[in-house]
Amino acid sequence: MILLHLRNELWKLFGKKRTYIGFGMFLLAQAAVLLLLRYARGPRREMAHRLELLGYSPDQFMSAVTMATSTLIPVAFLLLPLYAALIGGDLLAKESEEGTLRMMLSRPISRSRIVMVKWLAGVVFSLLLVLVLGISGAVVAGCLFHGGGLFALIPQESVFTVLGPAEGWRRYALATFILSGKAVTIMGLALMFSCFNVKPAAATVMAISLLFLSSIIQEMPYFHDLQHWFITYHINYWFRVFMDPPPWADIWSSISILFGFNATILIIGCVGFQIRDIKS
Amino acid sequence: MIQLRNVTKRFGNNLAVDDLSLSVPAGEIFGLLGHNGAGKSTAIGMMLGQVWPTAGQVLLRGRDVTQDRRAALQAVGAIFEAPVFYNELSAWRNLDILSSYTARTPSNRIAEVIEWVGLKGRERDTVKTYSHGMRARLALAQALLPQPELLILDEPGDGLDPEGIHEMRQTILRLRKELGLTILLSSHLLAEVEQVCTQIAVLNHGRKLFQGALSEARQAQNWVRLRTDNFAASAAALRDAHLILDDRDDNFILPAPSIETDKIVHCLVSAGHRVFEIAREEQTLEHFYLSLMKK
Repeated sequence: MILLHLRNELWKLFGKKRTYIGFGMFLLAQAAVLLLLRYARGPRREMAHRLELLGYSPDQFMSAVTMATSTLIPVAFLLLPLYAALIGGDLLAKESEEGTLRMMLSRPISRSRIVMVKWLAGVVFSLLLVLVLGISGAVVAGCLFHGGGLFALIPQESVFTVLGPAEGWRRYALATFILSGKAVTIMGLALMFSCFNVKPAAATVMAISLLFLSSIIQEMPYFHDLQHWFITYHINYWFRVFMDPPPWADIWSSISILFGFNATILIIGCVGFQIRDIKS
Repeated sequence: MIQLRNVTKRFGNNLAVDDLSLSVPAGEIFGLLGHNGAGKSTAIGMMLGQVWPTAGQVLLRGRDVTQDRRAALQAVGAIFEAPVFYNELSAWRNLDILSSYTARTPSNRIAEVIEWVGLKGRERDTVKTYSHGMRARLALAQALLPQPELLILDEPGDGLDPEGIHEMRQTILRLRKELGLTILLSSHLLAEVEQVCTQIAVLNHGRKLFQGALSEARQAQNWVRLRTDNFAASAAALRDAHLILDDRDDNFILPAPSIETDKIVHCLVSAGHRVFEIAREEQTLEHFYLSLMKK
């Protein structure tokens, strides 16, 4: 039955035009960045200059895999958290606001089952979103740029890596896959808030605000040694795949912490939803 | 079929339902009446396990809703005012989704119910193209899918035109006759309740004022139609003589217990009034309800 309910949730999620509009906006933004990198002189010149300064050939490293990775960064830091929080915040609170939750709860389905199934639907959605982004980024970059090695530079995260084409694409695929963990966590956080008696927008804003606060405090010098206590440290573990060699112990540690975090917020959400009165 | 035992519900400082005990027998069409804010929807919310009672016990089909939700709601259907659906999905998909929260429902059962409510041919259209009346029929369809023994209707006539209300009334009677359902109907439309219900309960500020058969409510008070040359003066004279308890609408008087109409006529004639008509009037539910509210 849980698969049947999951199917229903996915019907509801993908039955909305808004879902496809969001997907479309992501793909458009990604394509726009790649087109800018390909045809706008300023960004290309800047990138070529940076490569030359570091002693690398722009012809070799202004490649499809480098550009695909470059677009992943703004998407992962800006657009993805917003959209994942939007979807998570809507999952329960929107049904409550529209009144369909009352219809659902007039049936003999447990409240915790509802939360679990909605979370699972959010997970499927998050995985699909990141997969589509990863594939479309690779395809569009492949069409616009030539083959070559990967040059990854994320100064704020101390990432500086130069790799061959095959290894570069491998790391890109891995990073895309691991990025889904970030999407799932943010979606789950917003879903937790939407389990309480709040509007969908409020659930989204609370999730984003919490992450924003965490990232600000994490960056304060006083908390530098305590970075690993902040959830934003762990949800950004995906970029460590581009380190050479990747700190696998660190990555697995973050994965397990996120696993625990997701379990905790799911339980909190279930409890919040369980004790709540559902009225018109 | 439904039992509320000393049920209380507080929302903060607001006492929405106050020590309510209610019993809905199987096979009845039970009307739940009350003004806005009387506690009807809260009581229904507690019956469906959507609202947690502060105190007391809510039993549906003999099962405690808070302890054994699955068994309690297994054969229960519900319709709420202003029915809402997943507008971007078809009626068929909506029914498929909603029914799955009770049990996996075969396609032929969905088709059967769609035909029963008169939506055949429109089931593949998205719900956003539906009129209010069609949504009401779809709401009925989703309530009937789990083959319920009990149907709970919370203001089902809300927003319907006169034809729609008539259709709703006929449907309720048909449901009881053909399917033998027990129906709990919460409504403001006293005329409709009077035409379909067999038993009623009246709530006021969360408390039950009356529960009993509709016929009992009609007989509860024996109003008499009175036409005289001066009704106000006549009523005053009858009050002074302690022959009546109440009067209303410049036409009706409520004789005191054991007072017959001949004593009333005698009193009025003695007081110099001319009596044109005096006859017993059958109590309507509206009159009964308003007199309860007055108390």
